[in-house]
Amino acid sequence: MTTVTAPATTAGSSVPVVPGRAVTRLGVRQIRRGALIVVALAAGMTALVAATYDSIMADPAAAGSLQALAGNPAIRTLFGEPVALDTTGGFTVWRVGTVIAVLLGVWAILATTRITRGEEDAGRWDVLLSGRVTLRAAVIRHVAAVMTATVAAGGAVSVVLLLVGAPSAGALVHGAGVGLLGLYFVAVAALAGQVFPARAAATGTAVAVLGVGLLLRMVGDGIIDLGWLRWLSPFGLLALSSPFHQDRILPLLVLLAATALVTATAVGAAGHRDVRGGLVATSSGRQARLLLLGSVEAFAVRRLSRPWTGWALGIGAYYLLIGATAVSITEFLADNPALAGEAANAGFAELGAVEGFTATLFAILALPVGGFTAVRMGAFITAETDRQMTLLSAQPVSRLRLLGAELLATAAGAVALATVAGALTWAGVAAVSGRLGLLAAAQGAWNILPIVLLSLAAAALAAGWAPRATAVAGALPATGGFLLLVIGESVDAPGWVRNLSPFAHLAPVPLHTVDWPATLMMTGIAGAMIAAAMIGYQRRDLRS
Amino acid sequence: MNSDFALRTAGLTKRYGRLTALDDLTLEVCAGEVFGFLGPNGAGKSTTIRLLLGLARPTAGQAWVFGVGAADVARAHRLLAYVPADVALWPQLTGAEILHLQASTGPGVDYAYQAELVERFELDLSKPARTYSTGNRQKVALVAAFATRAPLLVLDEPTSGLDPLMERVFRTAVAAARDRGQTVFLSSHQLAEVEAVCDRVAILRAGRLIQVAPIGELRGLHRSEVTLTYTGQPPNLDTIAGVQDVRQPGEGRLRFTLTGPPGPALTALADADITALAVREPSLEEIFLDYYGTEAVR
Ligand SMILES: Nc1ncnc2c1ncn2[C@@H]1O[C@H](COP(=O)(O)OP(=O)(O)OP(=O)(O)O)[C@@H](O)[C@H]1O
Ligand SMILES: [Mg+2]
Repeated sequence: MTTVTAPATTAGSSVPVVPGRAVTRLGVRQIRRGALIVVALAAGMTALVAATYDSIMADPAAAGSLQALAGNPAIRTLFGEPVALDTTGGFTVWRVGTVIAVLLGVWAILATTRITRGEEDAGRWDVLLSGRVTLRAAVIRHVAAVMTATVAAGGAVSVVLLLVGAPSAGALVHGAGVGLLGLYFVAVAALAGQVFPARAAATGTAVAVLGVGLLLRMVGDGIIDLGWLRWLSPFGLLALSSPFHQDRILPLLVLLAATALVTATAVGAAGHRDVRGGLVATSSGRQARLLLLGSVEAFAVRRLSRPWTGWALGIGAYYLLIGATAVSITEFLADNPALAGEAANAGFAELGAVEGFTATLFAILALPVGGFTAVRMGAFITAETDRQMTLLSAQPVSRLRLLGAELLATAAGAVALATVAGALTWAGVAAVSGRLGLLAAAQGAWNILPIVLLSLAAAALAAGWAPRATAVAGALPATGGFLLLVIGESVDAPGWVRNLSPFAHLAPVPLHTVDWPATLMMTGIAGAMIAAAMIGYQRRDLRS
Repeated sequence: MNSDFALRTAGLTKRYGRLTALDDLTLEVCAGEVFGFLGPNGAGKSTTIRLLLGLARPTAGQAWVFGVGAADVARAHRLLAYVPADVALWPQLTGAEILHLQASTGPGVDYAYQAELVERFELDLSKPARTYSTGNRQKVALVAAFATRAPLLVLDEPTSGLDPLMERVFRTAVAAARDRGQTVFLSSHQLAEVEAVCDRVAILRAGRLIQVAPIGELRGLHRSEVTLTYTGQPPNLDTIAGVQDVRQPGEGRLRFTLTGPPGPALTALADADITALAVREPSLEEIFLDYYGTEAVR
């Protein structure tokens, strides 16, 4: 990233700034913090898993049984096709390759639509484009900024793999694949940003493309006969490149070609539309829909409903899949005691029972649902900054009620998301005639709500005292806590460090019963944070 | 608390770091009057309004809306309606939906009058706000504010995006509000508009209040230019209060500026043989340029 900012900083005020370069600098400035985090995460997670490889593989029995994983369709569906697990590189790619790819893809989409369509939507491009810079040039330069970051992330993954001594061909293929996948989603988001005149629609569409791509990869990996589906998905192409095994270049070339095509289409589209317009015209008029406009609380629900549907679709599809594969995986693990023992050592106790398996995966539910609360509170602050909140703030409604309405609606949305996940897990298990009670599934999903509440409270606290940090603060308890626990366990950190993570206090429900003292403790802390948030929000100036 | 005042501030001060955006403002706006709030860019007008609405918290001092503390927004906002300087609307809602949202969360609406205003402002309510122009966004906020029964309207440069035709509709609406007994607090850069609708004006410069006066008196506070022709001896004006810059532009002609009450000057002129007299009042623009000064820019 520094190579991009360097020329900008040397262009002092005395030198006339080239307008195009100023636009690039603007784009870079808006994403650099997130870019640094994503690159660091991609490199860090890769390094971490690669470092733990030797200790896991010290036991030859474990190594052998890991190989047996390759045969199980359910495992392949959820975690990808395990290849070359007997090498550091292959094992690392299997464990975190998909996670990093999804993370990078999601960040690429959010960053791209935020700095292109989002800025344009907010009217901030009107001034920018009144100068010598064309709309098309502005789009190209902003997209290039995000693309640079994704390439850096792929490069970082390659470098880390090379540093831990993995074969260079595999390291390069995997790094290139990750980088290309990032590029592809930047291009998709850029195109969506040209087609739709609103940021939410553009982001939603691009995320849907990502979700479908992931699903195609899962189905293609799980069902051998449908393996060709993977050629249609960027995640599938990443798997087909088979790093450290076959090191195939062709899938990467296909991904490169697709990226180039989508990018060219996006750039072409940018040249054929108006500023603030899209290829899809906004409806020029429609009947008023007065539902949920009667109070600030109702309006908070209304603003939530559309994004909620998107989150529910994504989370629901994933947990339906988990439910449907749970029986197969647990039976497989039960038949392979060595493997089950290995999993237990790695902290996945009793994966051999459906309850144990789902309990483990319900814990992860805290990440997307916590993320949902952080993103929604971030949107609340964005509405304030963009001055849409001003007219409501001038109504006879106390600040307490304004923030309270948002918190209530978001909390209700989070509970509903968890319920959807629980119900669809149950439905998935029931569809393959497994045995898991609906209530047990729901309890497993609800068990993570204290962590979600902590996320919401952290986001609210930031909204009250340091509004610019809202989304990041909201991501700390769930995503930060999860990473802290995983990293803490990997490096054998002292107990108190691991205990900082809320995940350390989560009972595996429905395998065991809810840990009520811990649940009440977390809820209490969240309550105190929300009270502090209210005080801050009432005292501060609105940012408009 | 005295509720004869629609708005009252005492020592209201707002600092942003080292910048003092508003410095010790003490002001009273009577119920029922149309009050103009003027000043150059960055003078602190919008800051004052944000403090009055409790959108920002004062560094020092206090403000009241009909005797209710400005910080108690749930009560104070029941008494007012607001049009911000730069109107941003929820992009996905149509004009009709925004009016409905404002009406159902606001201090009460006269729906018949609202429909009339929509008609007069020629507003298409079926469009999503994303597609509204600057002027149309402003009109939505104006219709929402004028249609309320709130006794106080706080308008921050509400006509900056309106065309001359709509500007006229706006003036009519302000007059109607005054007739209904509503108080109007109007921040504006349009001097003609201020002159047409305001009873009193306050002038702010660099965060400080420098003048509050009825609009008619503003002129009186200022120099007018007197030109006269005479025969015989020129009148002696050397020691007359308020007379300055006495010049003789030609034979039998005299020009001077007059500040304050004209009595003493007229007395002095009565002794001379004056054949013609012309008094030119300064334009409002000249008055404001005088007030705004050049150092005000920051
Ligand atoms: N949130 C803020 N942070 C820092 N400074 C601010 C902030 N809001 C306003 N200011 C400063 O306070 C001063 C007064 O601004 P204000 O918006 O009140 O001016 P104004 O009289 O409304 O000007 P205009 O006629 O241009 O609307 C300006 O110098 C402005 O830069
Ligand atoms: Mg202003």
